[in-house]
Amino acid sequence: MSKNSVITVKALVKSVATQEGELTILNGINLDVKCGESVAILGPSGSGKSTLLGLLAALDSPSSGEITLDGEALQLMAEEGKAALRKKSVSFIFQSFMLVDTLNALENVMLPAELAGIDKAKEKAQTMLTRVGLSHRLTHFPNQLSGGEQQRVAIARAFICEPKVLFADEPTGNLDAVNSQKVADMLFELNKESDTTLVLVTHDLVLAKRCERQLLMNSGELTEESRLFKLDESIETSTDLHRVEVN
Amino acid sequence: MEIQLAWRLFKRELQRGQLGLIVLAITLAVLSVTGLARVSERLQVAINGQASTFIAADRIINSPVKIDESILVKADELGLNRVSSMKFNSMVFAGQKFQLVTVRAVEEGYPLKGKIELNKKEEEHDSALPKAGHLWFESRLGGLLAYPNALELGDRQFNLSAEIARLPDAGFNPFASAPLVLMRLEDVASTGVIQPGSRVTYLAQFSGNEAQLAQFEMYAKPLLNSSQRWVDVRSGDSPIASAVKRAERFLLLASLLGIALACAAIGIAAQRYCQRHYDVVAMLKTFGASVKQIRTLFGIHLLLVTLFGVILGLIGGFTLDAVITSFLPIEIAAYSPPLMRPILLGLGTGFISAFMFSAYPLMRLLSIPPLRVLQRQLEGVELGMWLHVLLSIIAMAMLGYLYSQSVQLTLIVLTGVLLLGLLLSGLGFLMIRAGHSIGMKTTNPLQLALAGLRRRAKHNAIQLVGFSSALVLLLTIFALRQDLLSEWQNQLPENAPNYFLVNIAPDESVPLSDFLVKNRVKTTDIYPVIRGRLSQINGEELISSEQADEGVAGRRGISRELNLTWRDQLPENNELIQGQFNAEDNDVSVESGVAERLDIQLGDSLTFVIDNQEVTVNVSSIREVHWETLQPNFFMIFTRRTLASFAYTSMASFYLDEEKSEVILQIIKQFPTVSIIDVGNMVKQLRQIIDQVSLSLTLVLVLVVLSSSLVMIAQTEAGMATRQRELAVLRTFGASGWLLKMATGLEFALLGGIAGLLAVIVAEFTLYLLKTQVFELNIYMHWPWWGIAPVCGALTVALLGGWRCRQLLQKSCSELLKFTT
Repeated sequence: MSKNSVITVKALVKSVATQEGELTILNGINLDVKCGESVAILGPSGSGKSTLLGLLAALDSPSSGEITLDGEALQLMAEEGKAALRKKSVSFIFQSFMLVDTLNALENVMLPAELAGIDKAKEKAQTMLTRVGLSHRLTHFPNQLSGGEQQRVAIARAFICEPKVLFADEPTGNLDAVNSQKVADMLFELNKESDTTLVLVTHDLVLAKRCERQLLMNSGELTEESRLFKLDESIETSTDLHRVEVN
Repeated sequence: MEIQLAWRLFKRELQRGQLGLIVLAITLAVLSVTGLARVSERLQVAINGQASTFIAADRIINSPVKIDESILVKADELGLNRVSSMKFNSMVFAGQKFQLVTVRAVEEGYPLKGKIELNKKEEEHDSALPKAGHLWFESRLGGLLAYPNALELGDRQFNLSAEIARLPDAGFNPFASAPLVLMRLEDVASTGVIQPGSRVTYLAQFSGNEAQLAQFEMYAKPLLNSSQRWVDVRSGDSPIASAVKRAERFLLLASLLGIALACAAIGIAAQRYCQRHYDVVAMLKTFGASVKQIRTLFGIHLLLVTLFGVILGLIGGFTLDAVITSFLPIEIAAYSPPLMRPILLGLGTGFISAFMFSAYPLMRLLSIPPLRVLQRQLEGVELGMWLHVLLSIIAMAMLGYLYSQSVQLTLIVLTGVLLLGLLLSGLGFLMIRAGHSIGMKTTNPLQLALAGLRRRAKHNAIQLVGFSSALVLLLTIFALRQDLLSEWQNQLPENAPNYFLVNIAPDESVPLSDFLVKNRVKTTDIYPVIRGRLSQINGEELISSEQADEGVAGRRGISRELNLTWRDQLPENNELIQGQFNAEDNDVSVESGVAERLDIQLGDSLTFVIDNQEVTVNVSSIREVHWETLQPNFFMIFTRRTLASFAYTSMASFYLDEEKSEVILQIIKQFPTVSIIDVGNMVKQLRQIIDQVSLSLTLVLVLVVLSSSLVMIAQTEAGMATRQRELAVLRTFGASGWLLKMATGLEFALLGGIAGLLAVIVAEFTLYLLKTQVFELNIYMHWPWWGIAPVCGALTVALLGGWRCRQLLQKSCSELLKFTT
C-alpha cells in the first residue's frame, strides 16, 4: 500500500453460485483510493457497484484477490475483526436511510458513537444534528421526518464517529431534486471539513461529478472514466435530470 | 452501553406498540399459570374440604383388625389430628322388643370434619358426643322399638339421649337394614359384646394439612395388608369421588393445553419479534457491533420484554384470583393458598417459554449478515427446523412438568401436541396443494385469494397448524366441560330425591303410594329389597377375603350380604354393556364392577343363599351403574319370578319441597314402620361442590379461549407480514382497496374454513381418546360442529385478516412500498 492509500484492491474477484452455474460479478478489480479522496463509482444496474461497495466496506468477503482497508488486509480477517475495523474506521450512508424506526433522531445518531464507546455521545449527536440543520427535530421519529430530513439524520450519524472512510450507497437515490441537492451539499461539506475519504456509489452524474475521481463499473470491470462528464455537460444544467443511467 | 441501548429500544418499542403481541403472549401464559394454580388450589381446598366432610376426615384407615400402633404413633408424630372408632353389628333390647343395630363407637374429637346432624338442635345437647352411659340413635330405631328411654346393649344399659339425623361419614346407604347407634368408644368394653372372633371394623380417621397427610400416606400405606383399606375423598366409595377425580384431571389437562397454546402464541410472536429486528441487527453490525455486543443487547432486550410480561401476568393472575374469590363463599375466600408456588410457576413459565421459544429465532437474528444493509433479501443462516422443534419440545416438557409434576401426563400432552402438529401440517399442506393454480387476475377477489393460498402453500400450511391447533384445543376443552357439567347435572337434577323411604312392607306399598299421590309427591320407582349372599359361581364355593388372607384356597366372593332386587326393565340410570336384560325367568343382571372383580362372565351360573334357600341363576347381562347418582343402585337384579316368593320390603325415593315438610310428619304418624332417610343436606353439599368445580371449569375455558384467540391473532399478524409486499405492489398497480380487502379476507376465510374443518376432525378423534381413556364419558359425534367450526373459523380469521389489511390500506401507496422495503 502506498503511503497515503486508505483502500487498495488487487485482482478482486467475486462470484456467486446460481442455478445456471457460477456467475462472476466482479472480475479482477484493481483500485487505489487515497486518504481524503472522494471517489464516485458509476455504472448500470447489476454491474456490480453495490457488490464492490460491500466488499470495500468489509461487509462481504471476496472470492479471490486482496483488499486493504485502513492498513488491514480484509481477506485475512474473521468477521469479528472486520466488525472492529468498521467500528474504528468506517461509516455508511444508504439509499433507504436505514434509521431504526423506534429510535428518535437523536438516538439514531448516538447509536454508532455508543457502540464505539465514545464519550458524550448525546452531546456530539446534538451537535451533529444542529450541524445538518435538524436541531428542532431531535426527538422526532423517522416516520415523523421527510425523506430529506431522514437522510440528513443518516449523514449526522455517519459523521459522528469521525470515520476515515465513508461509504455512501445512492445517498440521494430516494430524494427529489431539491432535497438531493441539499443532502449532497451537506455530505460534501462535512466530508471536506472532516477530511474523510468518500466512496460513493451512484447513478447521479451530477453527484458523481462533485467527487474528485469517477470510476465506471461495467460487467464486473472497473475503469477510470472522465469522458462521462463531457457527455453530461449538456444535461448538467437540467433541473429534473440528476440521475442518468450510464449506458 | 448494551444495557442502556437495550433499555432505550425496549422503552421506545413499548411506547410505539411494537412489543404488544409478545408481551401479551407472555402475560397470558403467566396469567394462566399463576391464576389457575392459585384458583385451582383454592378450589381444590374448598372441594376437598367439602368432600372430606363426607368421610368426616381427610384420610381413613379401615381395618377388620386392630390398627398397628406404630401407624397411629407416626400420625401423632406428624402432628395429624386423629380419632379412633369401631363399627359392629349387635342386638339391642328394649323391654320385650329387640333390634339389630349397627353400633358406631367413637372417641372424643369425632368427627374431625363435618358435624353430626341431630333431629333436635345441637345446642340443646351439652356435648358434641353422647356422654358415657348414653347412646344417640338413628330416628328409625325409635319407631322400631316404640321410643324407649333406655336400651340394653350386651351387659350394659344405656340411656337414649338424642336422635341422629345423619352422621357425616355414614355414606349414602338407604339399604342399611340395621339402624345406627352412636356411643363412646370407652363404653364398649363394659358391654362385653366384643369377643375374640367378633366381626368388627376398626377405623382410624386423620386430618391435617396436605404436606402432613402426604408424608403420612407414604409411611402408612405400604404397611397396610390386603384387608385394610386406605380411604380418602377420592376413594371410590365417597359419593363425590368420581366428580372430584374427573374435575382434577380436567383442570390439569386443560391447564396444560392452555399453557401449550399460550406457548404457541409466544413462539409465533417471538418469530415476528426477531424478524422485525433483522434490519436493526444488520445495521448494528455494519456500524461495527460485535456478535457479543448484539447478543448481550438482545439478551437484555428480551429479558426486559419477558420481565414486563411476567409482571403483568403475575398482576393479572392475582387479579383473576381476586375476582374469582369474590364469587366464592366466604369460608373458601378466606383461605389463602401459599403465594410462593404460583409466583415461581409464573416466573418459570414466563422465562422458560420466552427464552426457549425465542432461542431459534434469536440465533437466526444474530446470524443476520451486515451485508443485508445493501442486499435486503439476505436473512440469517437456516439452522434447520429440527432445532426449533427440539427447543420447543424441551420448553413444553419443562413447563408441563413444572405445572403437573407428572412425567406421564407431560409426555402424553407432549406426544399429543406433536402428533396434532404433524397431522395438521400434513393435512393442511395436502388440502392447499389440492387447489387449482389460478393466475393473479386483479378483478376477481376469489381468484386472487385462491392463487395467494396456493402460492404460499408452505407458509399457509404452518399458519393452518396454528389456527387449527387453537380451534382443536378450544373445541376439546369446550366439549369436555359441557359433558362433565351435564353429567353432573343429570346426577343431581333440580328435583334430585332428598328423601328415601325404606322398610316398606308389601301391604303398605299401596296405601303409601296413595298417600303420596294425594299429597302430590312424585316418587321414583318402588324397588323390592331382599337380602342374600352369593355363595357359588359355576358351582364353585366362594371364600371371603378374610379367609383368603388366612391362606384358605378358593375363589373369592363378597364377604357381606347383598341387597337384591327384581326388575322387568333396565333401570334408567343403568347402561347395558353385554347381553340382554332379564329375558328368561332365571336370569340375573350383574353390575360391571362386581363382574370384573369376581371374574363373572355372561352365561355363568350364580348361586345365592336367600332366606336359607339356594337360588341358582344365569348371568344374562352386565350393566354399568353410576354409583354417584343418588338413586337406589343394585349389584344384582333378578327377575320377578325368581324373587317374588321371598319375604321382602320395598324402598322408594322422592323429592319434597322444604315447604311441604309436614308430609314427612304425617308419614311418620301413618306408617310408623317405614323408615325415612333425609339426604337433603347431602344433596345440598354435593351441589355446592359441583358448583365450585363448574366455576373452575368455566375459568379454564375462558383462559383457553383467550389463548386460542391470541394464537389466531399472532398467526394472522405473521400472515400479514408475508402479504404486505404483494399488497403494496397490487395497490400500486391500481387494485382497489375493496378488491384487496376482499381478496385478503377471502384468503384468510378459506384458511380459517379449512382450519375449522381440520379442527373438527381432529377434535372428534381427540375427544374419543380422552373420553374413553381418561374421563369415562359417553362418546358421541358433535354434528353441529361440522357446520359451525368451519364457518366460525372462516369468519374469525377473515375478520382478523381483513382488519389488519384495512390498517395497511389506510396508508398511501408510497408509505406502503416504503414499509415493505
